[in-house]
Amino acid sequence: MSDVSEQKGRRLSDRQKDIIQKFAALGSLFVLVLVFSMTSSAFFTVNNGMTIALQVTSIALLGIGATCVIITGGIDLSVGSVLALAGVVAAIAVKEWGMPVPIGMFIGILTGSLCGWINGILVTKMRLPPFIATLGMMLIARGVALQITGARAVSGLGEAFGELGNGSLFRIVNIGEDGFPTVVFPGIPYPVILMVVIAIAVSLMLNRSVLGRHIYAVGSNADAARLSGVNVGRVVSFTYVLSGTLAGLTGCVLMSRLVTAQPNEGVMYELDAIASAVIGGTSLIGGVGTISGTGIGAFVIGILRNGLNMNGVSAFTQQIIIGLVILGTVWIDQLRNRR
Amino acid sequence: MQTTSETVRDSAGIPHHDLLLRLDGITKEFPGVRALSNVSFDLHRGEVHAVCGENGAGKSTLMKIISGVYQPTSGTIVYKGEQRHFASPLESESVGIAIIHQELNLIPHLSVAENIYLAREPRRGLFVDRKKLRADAKRCLDRLGIEIDPATPVRTLSVAQSQMVEIAKALSLDAEVLIMDEPTSSLTEQETGILFKVIRDLKASGVGVIYISHRLDEMAEIVDRVTVLRDGQYVATDDFADTTVDAIVAKMVGRSLEEKFPERTSVPSQDILFSAAGLNRAGRFTDVSFTLKRGEILGFAGLMGAGRTEVARAIFGADPLDTGTITLHGETLTIRSPRDAIAAGLAYLSEDRKAQGLAVKMPVDANMTLANMEEVSNRFGFIDFAKHARVANEYVDLLNIRTPSIKQPVRLLSGGNQQKIIIGKWLFRKPKVMFFDEPTRGIDVGAKFAIYQIMDELAAQGIGVVLISSELPEILGMTDRVAVFHAGRITGILDTRSTDQEEIMRYASGYGPTAH
Repeated sequence: MSDVSEQKGRRLSDRQKDIIQKFAALGSLFVLVLVFSMTSSAFFTVNNGMTIALQVTSIALLGIGATCVIITGGIDLSVGSVLALAGVVAAIAVKEWGMPVPIGMFIGILTGSLCGWINGILVTKMRLPPFIATLGMMLIARGVALQITGARAVSGLGEAFGELGNGSLFRIVNIGEDGFPTVVFPGIPYPVILMVVIAIAVSLMLNRSVLGRHIYAVGSNADAARLSGVNVGRVVSFTYVLSGTLAGLTGCVLMSRLVTAQPNEGVMYELDAIASAVIGGTSLIGGVGTISGTGIGAFVIGILRNGLNMNGVSAFTQQIIIGLVILGTVWIDQLRNRR
Repeated sequence: MQTTSETVRDSAGIPHHDLLLRLDGITKEFPGVRALSNVSFDLHRGEVHAVCGENGAGKSTLMKIISGVYQPTSGTIVYKGEQRHFASPLESESVGIAIIHQELNLIPHLSVAENIYLAREPRRGLFVDRKKLRADAKRCLDRLGIEIDPATPVRTLSVAQSQMVEIAKALSLDAEVLIMDEPTSSLTEQETGILFKVIRDLKASGVGVIYISHRLDEMAEIVDRVTVLRDGQYVATDDFADTTVDAIVAKMVGRSLEEKFPERTSVPSQDILFSAAGLNRAGRFTDVSFTLKRGEILGFAGLMGAGRTEVARAIFGADPLDTGTITLHGETLTIRSPRDAIAAGLAYLSEDRKAQGLAVKMPVDANMTLANMEEVSNRFGFIDFAKHARVANEYVDLLNIRTPSIKQPVRLLSGGNQQKIIIGKWLFRKPKVMFFDEPTRGIDVGAKFAIYQIMDELAAQGIGVVLISSELPEILGMTDRVAVFHAGRITGILDTRSTDQEEIMRYASGYGPTAH
């Protein structure tokens, strides 16, 4: 009897251990918030919350794409450059070709998809290692972005171009008696809404759709997946197209926030994206990863940056701390998987 | 560390001075599972001691404890008179305990010689002494009587050759205890013969061999004693000479198993279900033609590398086919990928479960439905989880798969249960023709029997079954006809009832029919 109950107890605690570890990242997020709230009075405010969310959007959007690619066992190093190219193309479409802003941005996003599609072909049809294929794309996309702009920022895009990046929903402003506006609620920035919607959509795709199941299957064992009738090439290509598309979207959002298209924007963003996925528990070997984890990972990086900034920690020290956080979380993950 | 100087006694209580290794009251608990409970075991110098049991009986766990991969929850290990705790495989290896794993642990891109002497290469100054490395490796291989060039990269070797290299590696470690986990499961009869000769030589030189195998029939040649485990419990240790295969099997399963093969209930009909004509793939197989009747079990026999798996894979679209026609129900099929083959109603149970059959990180249910997702999803491509779970549970019950839940990652299940999951995956597709490639390799007696029954039931339902097997008793016990392969060609298609092992072996060696 005692044996049975003991075993049962263990099994439970094993499951609990799993849950605890799953929420370890979330827990550390809370700890970060707590610490920064105590060290800086301006940290825990609605305004700053929205600022962080806005800052996190680009990491999170790129991270969502990176997660899907990494689950299949691949990697996408090109997103930082692709987002610059996409933003620049959108700006040129609006300014030079005189297109309405939504169409221009759509063309920008399509540019990202096209880059992802080419990545997919390089990986699946030409059988290049993903690292090499996307490294090439990283250089090419950046080069094209610099080439078509003459390495100069594209500005004078008009107010409408800034709407996506700077506008927000439910913004409440009271005009006081003195005629000056006071902001009651800063509103939810459009990019944040975009991030949440896309995170939920991709999460549903991964967990509930056949395509999502195939993505995990390919990452877990590509041979077995192929012999089970999964169209491995198409599944892998899809993840690169998704990653490229999200990079294109991120590019448009970022350039819109600046109301200027910078061909030098987004350098090293791919590493932030990969880091957020990895902090969130995505395995670089493939087969394992969740969007919720990546979301948490993106917020860990974003809050660290924001909080350290507020505490006057230098950019160099910030890099060191984020580097240590990546090493620490992945090490904990290794411990969990070792058993 | 405590030294016991008293006279060591073996399990029978007889003083024995040649005792090499002794385990007492070994218990190993994993979270939620007690894998071993109070198991005792001993090994003498110059002895081959077999450990038998069904999958999940605890054989592998016991070996991992001896080799230091796991530490026992309780119990003692006494090695050469000294109580030991092996914290890692390196520690046990350093005192002379070597293990040859069922899953081969060689590095494909390195040469045979480099693999044998991995991490202990002979050096000259800072550099590897390549000449000595090759010469030493050659000596190791010669001792085994195998002709492999030590410079060959391991990735180009067959499974059997790789296994020989593993054995050579263990021998080069001057092992005093050698643990062999299913060493013959992928060897041909001839290679098994060579291995047994090597084992006899090792015995003569005082090495103790722990031998794990499901092939009880071949044990008589080399095994001295046999210990049976069941469900993590110690059952018995007997001198092999004093027992019989049937008695061992009875102890393993806890019941007597009358027949190794189920009685065939299915009768092949006369109409041809599937045919292959003039199949060619350069360098692999030539002019392969055969037919399969509805409800028939056709065997593919032959030596390792004769082209059996290659033909099946090419038919299934996993490898390209140069020329040839494949028909099902009289209609010619165009198969360019496994997707096409599956859509047409073919299924292929691959030879290598872990590498090609299972997504091991994924749970039981996801593996079960992987080949037929459209059946458990709506038209928008979203999974119907209720149906998904129903299907998974249905096949878990149907095939009697032992798993705590359908959410269990399949890597935590035993080989037999993993194989059943793959079978379940294909059954859910309701195939018309199913290829079983070495379906019972490394699987215990009970699970084997279950798989034979499944094959028979499939045939009884009118499905065409092709059984690729290197075990002739299996071919003779289960098939209606047998196509014998030699060097990429079918040298004969024989009626199973009127043939025997000798005739099949003659065809398999390329001699063809003899004049009577």
